[in-house]
Amino acid sequence: MVEFLSASGYVCESVFNFNDAVEKIEVYDYDCIVLDIMLPGGSGLQILKYLKQNNKTDGVIIISAKDSLEDKIHGIELGADDYLTKPFHLSELSVRVAAIIRRKKFQGNSVITLADIEIDTVAQSVKINQQTTELTQKEFQLLLFFVINKNKVISKNAIAEHLWGDDMDIASNFDFIYAHIKNLRKKIVTAGGEDRIRSIYGVGYKMQLP
Amino acid sequence: MKLFTKYNRVNVSATIFTFVLGSIAFYFVLDYVLSRQLKETLRSEQFEIVHYVEEHHALPEIQNTRHQWITVEKSIEKLDKPQFKNIGYYNERDKENQSAKQLLFNIEVAGQNYLITVNKSEAETEELLKLIILVTIGMIALMLLFNYFINRRLINKLWQPFYKTIDDIKQYQVSDKQPMRLSNERIDELNLLNDSLNKMTQSIYREYAALKSFTENASHEMQTPLAVIRSKIDLLLQQSELNEQSLQQILSIEDAAKRLSKLHQSLLLLTKIENKQFVLNEQVDLKEIILEKIKEREELIDSKQLKIETFCKATTIYFYHHLAEILFNNLLNNAIKYTPQNGIINIELNEEFICFKNDAFNESLDTNKIFQRFYKPNDSRDGTGLGLAIIKEICNLAGFEISYSFKDHQHIFLIKIKTIE
Repeated sequence: MVEFLSASGYVCESVFNFNDAVEKIEVYDYDCIVLDIMLPGGSGLQILKYLKQNNKTDGVIIISAKDSLEDKIHGIELGADDYLTKPFHLSELSVRVAAIIRRKKFQGNSVITLADIEIDTVAQSVKINQQTTELTQKEFQLLLFFVINKNKVISKNAIAEHLWGDDMDIASNFDFIYAHIKNLRKKIVTAGGEDRIRSIYGVGYKMQLP
Repeated sequence: MKLFTKYNRVNVSATIFTFVLGSIAFYFVLDYVLSRQLKETLRSEQFEIVHYVEEHHALPEIQNTRHQWITVEKSIEKLDKPQFKNIGYYNERDKENQSAKQLLFNIEVAGQNYLITVNKSEAETEELLKLIILVTIGMIALMLLFNYFINRRLINKLWQPFYKTIDDIKQYQVSDKQPMRLSNERIDELNLLNDSLNKMTQSIYREYAALKSFTENASHEMQTPLAVIRSKIDLLLQQSELNEQSLQQILSIEDAAKRLSKLHQSLLLLTKIENKQFVLNEQVDLKEIILEKIKEREELIDSKQLKIETFCKATTIYFYHHLAEILFNNLLNNAIKYTPQNGIINIELNEEFICFKNDAFNESLDTNKIFQRFYKPNDSRDGTGLGLAIIKEICNLAGFEISYSFKDHQHIFLIKIKTIE
């Protein structure tokens, strides 16, 4: 996790038990905390409570295997910003972390610029090569997913789960992902942008950026 | 049959049998005693006559009564010893045939041999016998009746705590999160029963709690290593020096990890449903969920060029929202997966039933096995084999009836539902 996120350009620190976590939180302010609910020495939810009691503004993503709805609601009620159930793809975590940091840093007023791509995550609009490009909801999500996980190989599974969730039985049929990616590439090229999406044979895709 | 009825049946028949046997014996004994007494009376009469003749050398004057009379005849033949005889005669006063006992004996008065017959009617004896038997029968009847009512009341009262225990057992559910606590009774046997039940539910509850915490812990503890596997795979994929073969192997590890995780979640869900951890008290609009689930799968449906026909009426039932979602997720996933390219999926919803029909690749599925866990038609490798088992469990929980049929080359799943009145 640390390796993957560090490679995405984040500065990461990790601790493995409750007491260390509390210590770190007291000393530093983080943009985003990824919190496992079950920690040696205490519950992640207690840390969450502690953060809120001390008016810390660190963004929090809870990670848990307890996929029941109540736990999810309980975590959000306690002030978590997001909730991920195990197991998840690192690219998925990366998108969630990015979204939280965006919200914290820019007070929701963020435009992500990457080479000739400009994404306004609030207005949900995209400019490619200075040109406003109409994308469908799914294409928009896909592009954002690629941009945030730039230079990373993303498996088809990860893309499918990001766009369509875990409830669908898609393992047997990835053709329609291919169709979406094809459309997205076509739109980028049409707008005069450079197509940086590389297909990694049999595995997935990667957005190659300098 | 109730224990009381059974007991009563045995008790009453045994009592009747004993009394009948006793009565018969009583009758014969009484009959014997009475006839001996009669003979005694006749003998004493003979003795008196003999005594009189010895004293006065003449026959006594004979006084006949209604029930006793004596005849004297001159006779030449001589009896060796006095003889008893039973005779029948017609009683003019009572106007009926009656029986009597006779004692015949010889006596010599002044050289003349007489045959004397002493008769005594048995009517009195018979009447006495009749009366005694009547009283006996009356007493038997009374005794049986009393016995019956007393037993009934007593036994009902005695069994009261037993029925209370039974009621407690009926109401007990392991998911109540505590063992049973039955009260102490004054009767030892019931105490024994209650104590044993308390102990039994205690151990059942302990095991239930252990199992529950195992499933809950296992849920977390197993997903964590799976999450680690997945993270490491994501990292591995980033390494550019991997060749295609290695990539394929890594991807199949990812698939396996994903399947394992799914399988685990599905089993956990089944356990939760079976343990009744979901309370069906939310008002859920089924139509809304169906349409939402179809929309989520739009791209998937388009990519297979499937045609979805929906005939849905707004239908609200008491349900658990998340379970309804799982139900339709599974039904739709199956329908989409097992419909050939360009096929048709037909979904119908109204107050009475939910019906999913879809064109089939092959023949009918095995109707007997289809809802069993890990049933996979034609050894298909993907899928957990738990989807339909989950659907079935959800239906069971809600009291819905689900059936599968195969008609016009279509798989048909019909669920009869209960709506809010």
